[in-house]
Amino acid sequence: MNSVKPVRYLAVPTAALILAGCGSGSGSGDAKADLSVSAAYMPQPVSDSMAAGFLTIANDGGTKDELTSVTSDAAGSVTVHETVGSSMREVTSLAVPAHGRLVFKSGGNHLMFDKLKHRPMQGEKVTVELHFADSGPITVEMPVKSPTYNPETGH
Amino acid sequence: MHKTHKTHRTHKTKMTYKTHKKAFAAASLLAAAALTLSACGSDDSGKSPVAAVSEESSQGAVTVLDQPFKKPDLVLTDTQGKKYDLRKETAGKPTLIYFGYTNCPDVCPLTMSNIAVAKKQLPKAEQDELRVVFITTDPERDTPAALGKWLKGIDPRVVGLTGDFATIQAGARTLGISIEPPHKDKNGKTVSTHGTQVVAFSPKNDGGYLLYDEEATVDEYTKDLPKIIKGENP
Repeated sequence: MNSVKPVRYLAVPTAALILAGCGSGSGSGDAKADLSVSAAYMPQPVSDSMAAGFLTIANDGGTKDELTSVTSDAAGSVTVHETVGSSMREVTSLAVPAHGRLVFKSGGNHLMFDKLKHRPMQGEKVTVELHFADSGPITVEMPVKSPTYNPETGH
Repeated sequence: MHKTHKTHRTHKTKMTYKTHKKAFAAASLLAAAALTLSACGSDDSGKSPVAAVSEESSQGAVTVLDQPFKKPDLVLTDTQGKKYDLRKETAGKPTLIYFGYTNCPDVCPLTMSNIAVAKKQLPKAEQDELRVVFITTDPERDTPAALGKWLKGIDPRVVGLTGDFATIQAGARTLGISIEPPHKDKNGKTVSTHGTQVVAFSPKNDGGYLLYDEEATVDEYTKDLPKIIKGENP
C-alpha cells in the first residue's frame, strides 16, 4: 500500500510527456482538469513478485494535473517509472497536460508493481487507485492480459 | 515517449564502416557516448545501440546486417551453475541472444515471452535446434537459481547465463549493445539496464545477421523464426 516515494525530479524531459500534439493551451482554460482513464492492462507477469501496468490518462479540462501516486491492494508498492535509454527511473509525479494525455506504454512510462500478494493471472483484474495533485482519486480495474499482449493489435 | 522513440529508429545506424576492426572501435566509442547520455538522462538520443554495419536493410522491427557480428566469446555460468561456453555450445545452431535482467517488469519479460510464444509454433525438431540465450545485465541479483526460476516461467529451454558484469558488458559491446552496471538510486533501489535488441545468429556461419528492436512482436518472430532456423533472411 505504499504510494510513490518521492525521488527528486532530475532533468525530467517534459517534452516527452507532451503527447499527441495537444500540449498547448495549458493554463488557458478556466475549466478544471477533467480526467479519464482508458486502455489499462497488466501483462501477466513472469515473476511472482513484480509486474508492470499500462494505461492512458486523458485530461479534457483546461488545467493540467499531476499523477502523484498509485496504490493497489494487489501489491506492496506501486511506483511510477519512466524509461530513459534502456533503464527505468522512478519519478515522483507525471504531468497530465490540459487537453492532453499521459500515456503509459511498454518501453516508456509504466507502473511497476512490487511485492505482489500473488501472481496475477490472465483473466483476473487488479484494482489500482490513481492519486492526483488536484483531482480526486480514480479507481481503475486493470485487466490482466497475456504476457505478450500488444495493445496495438489487441492480442 | 512515443515520439522520441520513433526518432531513434531513424537514428539507429547513421554511420558506415568499412572494416570490422574499425567498426568495433567506432562502436565502442559510440557505446561510451551512449552511456554518458543516459547518465545525464535528459537526452535519449543515445538510446539505440549502434549497429556497426556497412549496409543494411530494415523492415519493421528487424534489421538485416550486411556485415554480421561475430558471436561474443563469452564463457559464463548457466542456470545449473555450470560453465557455458557460448561459442562452443551454440556453434552451428540458430541462436537468439538477448541481454536483460529478471527484476525488469516491462521490456525484458515481454521480449522473452514474445520469442517463447513464437518458438512454440515451430515444429518440434526446429524448436530443438533453436538456441535462445538470455544473458543477465544484473549478475549480482540474477544468480543461476534466480535466472532459472524466472526463465522457467517463460520457457525452461532458454539458456540463462550469468557471470562477471565487466565480462558480460564487454560481450554485449561487441554486438553494439551498451549496458550500464546496476547502481542504486536515491531510495536504495537497484537500477539496471537491458539491451534494446535481440540478435539472431545464423546456423550457417554463426554470424549475428539480424537485429530485432524492442518493438518486435510475437507475429514478427513467428514469421521469421523458420527462416532463422535455416539462416535465411526474413
